[in-house]
Amino acid sequence: MKLKVLSLLACLAASTGSALAAEGELSIGTEGAYPPWSMSDANGNVTGFDADVGALLCTKLEMKCHFVVQAFDGLIPALKAKRFDVIISGMSITADRKKEINFSVGYAELANMFVAPKGSDLAGVTDVDTLLKSLAGKKVGVQAGTTHAHFLEKRAPDADLKTYDTLDQMQIDLASGRIDAAFADQSALQDFLDKPDGKNFQLVGVQIKSTFDPTLGEGIGVGIAQENTELKAKIDKALCALIADGSVGNASKKWFKTDISRPCN
Amino acid sequence: MELIQLAVPVLLKGLWVTAALTLVSVLIGFNLGLGLALMRLSSNAFAAGFAKYYSNVFRGTPLLVQIFIFYYGLGEVSLIRDNAVLWWVISDGSRCAVLALALNTAAYTSEILRGGLMSVPAGLVEAAQACGMSRILRFRRIEFPLAIRQALPAYGNELILVVKGTSLASTITVLEITGYAKRLMSQTFAIFEIFAIAGVLYLVVNLLLIAIIRSIERYLMRHEAQARQAISTPRIDGSAVI
Repeated sequence: MKLKVLSLLACLAASTGSALAAEGELSIGTEGAYPPWSMSDANGNVTGFDADVGALLCTKLEMKCHFVVQAFDGLIPALKAKRFDVIISGMSITADRKKEINFSVGYAELANMFVAPKGSDLAGVTDVDTLLKSLAGKKVGVQAGTTHAHFLEKRAPDADLKTYDTLDQMQIDLASGRIDAAFADQSALQDFLDKPDGKNFQLVGVQIKSTFDPTLGEGIGVGIAQENTELKAKIDKALCALIADGSVGNASKKWFKTDISRPCN
Repeated sequence: MELIQLAVPVLLKGLWVTAALTLVSVLIGFNLGLGLALMRLSSNAFAAGFAKYYSNVFRGTPLLVQIFIFYYGLGEVSLIRDNAVLWWVISDGSRCAVLALALNTAAYTSEILRGGLMSVPAGLVEAAQACGMSRILRFRRIEFPLAIRQALPAYGNELILVVKGTSLASTITVLEITGYAKRLMSQTFAIFEIFAIAGVLYLVVNLLLIAIIRSIERYLMRHEAQARQAISTPRIDGSAVI
């Protein structure tokens, strides 16, 4: 009897920490509008690289996956409010974000690039410094709350920054000529260039790696609530195993046609 | 404290944009609304029908939907993109927001003013006619002043709704109070504090607006204030009347 009460109490304690994880279910917050990382259809099914990483992780942890779709700039507040257990949404690990939440080891790493209309002044630039200088007075689109937004706020303060809730909205404005350029990670921009709307656009030939400026982060990781150290340890171990055995790399090849997985150290 | 020092100057920058959006859309919206109210009350069936459907369509759809239709929807129409003037309006987020807010508030304003105009006693209009006043003079001297007096409390409400409606412009890249607040949110993650300050700014603007409307109301109703004072003045025998 005493044992029963104790185990009940233990259950209760665990469930206050993270309501859903206690039931063998991992609820994952994701944006659902950031191809090919995370896309959600009208039925609420999530597909993409992050969906695959989430599914791999859940299999490894022997838990059931449950995706919660929500705008990117609201993901961290929602995690802190315990609306879900983890964030898997192409989120770069940055110092600012680390003050709010914890991150797993990085599981992927991408180059950040600009896209601009073919033949425009920006399109021909070949080095970072000239590029950042020539952004002065130009309308540049970024997604709200991303490392890209923070990077440009810091390194190109004279640019007229336009922030969008979703990448789709930014692409519409890029296609209609409301903005002169857009800054995002290469995969997201490639997705735009492959669409009919993107036919008059090109990547600017400058790759900005996350080592260039700390605002660009340390690769992409799984966001975990700060107090949830036990879950972080489990996820780190599972991720490292999944990266080492090539599962994450295979998922990456499926969505990006190249391996963007980040070796675990 | 540090947060307030960071957030307040940024949000104040947004306050000017919010004020400008409100002012321009109300200026356009009031005039359009007055025109629509007159059309609605005119004997021309086509004009009255148009005004009625206009007001139903704009009052019956959410402002956010209207803003998205104007900004993202019309931005895809090549006819508009090829027309320099139309594209000038649609290409810019804040001009698009003003367009949507002005057309939206025009619909509500037309209903409010229609109510005011209908409350003008027919006898007064007939008396003015009998004096030989022209239609325009009659409208300027008799109908409009009486209508606006009736409509002002409801119109004050509409002004407040416009101020709050400007926050939706943040969804189409306009950096007004809410737009800056969202940007600060993703920089500091101090959501509660940032949006509390943003809320206070809206509150201050609206309280100011309410005070202005009240004083205009009092000015327009000054004859009634005098009448009330006359009633409540104690009589000579000292017994006060309610």
